[in-house]
Amino acid sequence: MHTTIKKVTIKSYLDFAQLIKEYQGSHEENRVFALKHKGALENPSKLVMLWTKTNLFRLRETADSENFLHHFSSVSNLIGFLFLLMGFFAGIGLLSYSGHAPVNIIYYLLFAMMIPLLSMLITIFSMISGGEVSNFFNLFFSLHWVEKFVNLFAFNSKIKTLNSSFPQTLKKWIFIHRLQLFSLLFSVGLLLSLLVMVVSKDIAFSWSTTLNVTPMAFHELLSWVAKPWEFLVPSAIPSVELVEMSQYFRLGETLNKEMVQNADKLGAWWQFLAMVTLIYAIFLRAILWLVSRYAYQKQLEKDFLEIEGMEMLIREFQTPYVSTEAPKVEQHLDIVEETDAQVKQNRRRAFNNIVGWNFSADEIALVNDSKEIKGVHIDIVGGSHTFSKDQEIARQISRTVLLYVKSWEPPTMDFVDFLELLIESKKVDEIHVYPLGTVGRYYASDAKEVAVWKRKIQGLKSKKVWVIDA
Amino acid sequence: MRNNKENVNDYPKFAVVGHPNKGKSSIVSSLALDDSVQIGDTPGTTQIKRGFPLKVDGKIIYELFDTPGFQRARRVLAWLNEQDAVSADKRSDVVREFVATHRHDDKFRDEIELLEPILDGAGIIYVVDASKPYGPEYEVEMEILRWCGQPSMAILNLIGDEDYRDQWKSALGHYFRMVRTFNPIEATFRDHMDLLESMAQLKEEWTKEIKVAITILDELHQQKVEQTIDAIVDNMIKTLSLVYKQEIKGEKATSKEEEDAKQGYRQQIMEYEKAQEKAIEFIWNHRSIEKIENVLVLDEVGLFSKESASIFGLSQNELILTGASAGAITGAGVDLMLAGHTLFIASLVGGVVGGVGAMFGFNNLYSLEILGQNLGKRELSIGPMKNLNFPYILLGRALYHASVIAKRSHALRESIKLEDEEFYTEQIINTEMRKKLEKVHIQLRKGEGPSNELLDEYKKVISRSFLGLLRE
Repeated sequence: MHTTIKKVTIKSYLDFAQLIKEYQGSHEENRVFALKHKGALENPSKLVMLWTKTNLFRLRETADSENFLHHFSSVSNLIGFLFLLMGFFAGIGLLSYSGHAPVNIIYYLLFAMMIPLLSMLITIFSMISGGEVSNFFNLFFSLHWVEKFVNLFAFNSKIKTLNSSFPQTLKKWIFIHRLQLFSLLFSVGLLLSLLVMVVSKDIAFSWSTTLNVTPMAFHELLSWVAKPWEFLVPSAIPSVELVEMSQYFRLGETLNKEMVQNADKLGAWWQFLAMVTLIYAIFLRAILWLVSRYAYQKQLEKDFLEIEGMEMLIREFQTPYVSTEAPKVEQHLDIVEETDAQVKQNRRRAFNNIVGWNFSADEIALVNDSKEIKGVHIDIVGGSHTFSKDQEIARQISRTVLLYVKSWEPPTMDFVDFLELLIESKKVDEIHVYPLGTVGRYYASDAKEVAVWKRKIQGLKSKKVWVIDA
Repeated sequence: MRNNKENVNDYPKFAVVGHPNKGKSSIVSSLALDDSVQIGDTPGTTQIKRGFPLKVDGKIIYELFDTPGFQRARRVLAWLNEQDAVSADKRSDVVREFVATHRHDDKFRDEIELLEPILDGAGIIYVVDASKPYGPEYEVEMEILRWCGQPSMAILNLIGDEDYRDQWKSALGHYFRMVRTFNPIEATFRDHMDLLESMAQLKEEWTKEIKVAITILDELHQQKVEQTIDAIVDNMIKTLSLVYKQEIKGEKATSKEEEDAKQGYRQQIMEYEKAQEKAIEFIWNHRSIEKIENVLVLDEVGLFSKESASIFGLSQNELILTGASAGAITGAGVDLMLAGHTLFIASLVGGVVGGVGAMFGFNNLYSLEILGQNLGKRELSIGPMKNLNFPYILLGRALYHASVIAKRSHALRESIKLEDEEFYTEQIINTEMRKKLEKVHIQLRKGEGPSNELLDEYKKVISRSFLGLLRE
């Protein structure tokens, strides 16, 4: 089967988590599914995603992923756009040239390099730490608070609920991954504003600090900052002369005459600032974004396999389905309600006939002696005798009959056939069926066993037959 | 996978036959690991033959047939004897003729049902109750089976207290190649496998398939053990890390609110335990089990509750940081507008003011209402369970229940009586085991998830204990 499923996504995660709560499939169904997709058997995640896709129609409600991804992407687009705008306007603010005082590049460097580097450092701390420590680092990011704020709105409740169902580490990577993207957009906005401002305005750059920093020391610092593009774009490294002529003292709010004379040269700073933004705010952030994306994907794949119910499903995919049950529904026997209608507690001492069903003559003699019962005729039926011989005996029996049976041997239809011969015989008045226990128990029978006999005899509905329960 | 046509008739079949009420269905139920087989003390409970195939991915490895007991054996034998004398190799044809002649005769319905699978090639497993004396009436049944000419063995089932096995063995030895004792009610998994080994010897051609079946059933047993351990460990993690939260109205929880929350917490734990038990019963194929159990009592276990408040879903600490950040952002805006001339003082001041404001304003903000909605929320949370002994009570109960279920024969129909905790907790979990398990319990009490390595070790310790219980 051709499939486009390649890697685990938030959609596959949410779809499976929702589906498995409502439908697990039987081991048989799941194993059959796995055998039908043998090619994917070695890749459990892929097989599970295929299974999810096949069974998604079973969901009673709209897939959570649809809502989540719709809201999540809308909110993300909005926040992303806001970050881009924020970057752009922050750049505009930083590069605004009042005409009185030049633009201080230190302030721009702070936004384009220092803060991004600090933020990236905290991001790395958050990446390598876990649990509460990681949560603590995340508090330093504005995105954390933006998300908290967005979560207050009702429209975001679905995202909030589903988001809270993700494992802690996965939530961390979702956050870090988004954070890198938004920070990247902020930096792009910053760079755009620099380019727009450079093109549309004549900006006079300068550097100014209260600290006692000489132009040489400042140049050395900037050369160190510009190391990454030293050979690639040498024109984007400010010269010592430029640094010297760009130093601005606020005293008296007047511009240095030398600065005014070299105003055209001061604009050369923009290349340096653009490269700072490109390398420190954009390039490094892009690397971090790629790293976070990789880590997020790995975490998603790991957590996907740990969703409740996943282990069982994969086990069912991989384990041969063994069944031992019967496919046919059993035909149930109608049990006759037990009554005491044809039961005698007291037995007679004498009978015209004593018949032993599956007993030997010696055994009957022993029982009669033990129970002090006398009979005029004693016969043996059942056992290895033929049925025709039993028929002959039945024909000779008359008046009262005591029929010894083994209580532990339940009445077979063979016995019932013989009993019916006696019932139908007009010569026979009364038949007493006496279930006896084993010799070892002095013929005492078990109540459960006698109950079986009672039920069978009552089922015959004959007023002639009695069961002795003594 | 071979298709069904190919699979017809080329696998071993066994018909479990005998006198009525000698435990045929119990033996099939036990061997087939299926508690849906109807078992009764009324003769004739089984009215039709029922096949129990052992299937692996749809392929039948062997099939057991539960059959009705002999009802008119003497008449069947009489019919067979009435036919023209035939040599031993043709006797099965006479039986086949009997079946064909009487197929629609209601009188021999049970005999037809039990003879059919045998004539179709099934080996004979003749079941007798060896707790009752031998009687010559059985010889009629055994003679009919001998006429069928299929490989056969006898099983001595001890239903009652007495033991007449020696009597039976001397009689059965004349008719069957093998006589084995098997009590389906008490049989362990090992006994089950031993009986299959004996069945494998009935016919040379069947040996290979039955050996395969033994391997499969062994693996299946192992998988069930692993699944049981997983179910127990999952429940331990869920229960021990459970934090039950309930919203409260006032500043402090009332005793009723506290009691309700504790009740909710207990209820949740009991539901978890019930779900775990059901899962384990499902794993061991006991679908229709009835239990008389001792309910988990949590009254004696100290439950710690904690109150917390939030505004907009933010805790007080988060709110302070939010305030500080908001102040700082505002300050940064001012700084930005002034192109950095304020040296970030505005940000700093904004942050401090915001944070301090949030700190002092928490209680005021908490009770603030907007459009009738209170912004603040107070919660009472209970858990994770701090009682040091509770995990062992829970684990002891789980292991005890699982071992009872795993060892229970599928032939048993009466309800299970699960003993009190005192009966098993100390026996199941000793001090050495406690030491090893405690590491995970400490983490769960802290609300932390244990590492995979720790969890593997935890599973191993529980697995060893469970396997020990299964051997008992």
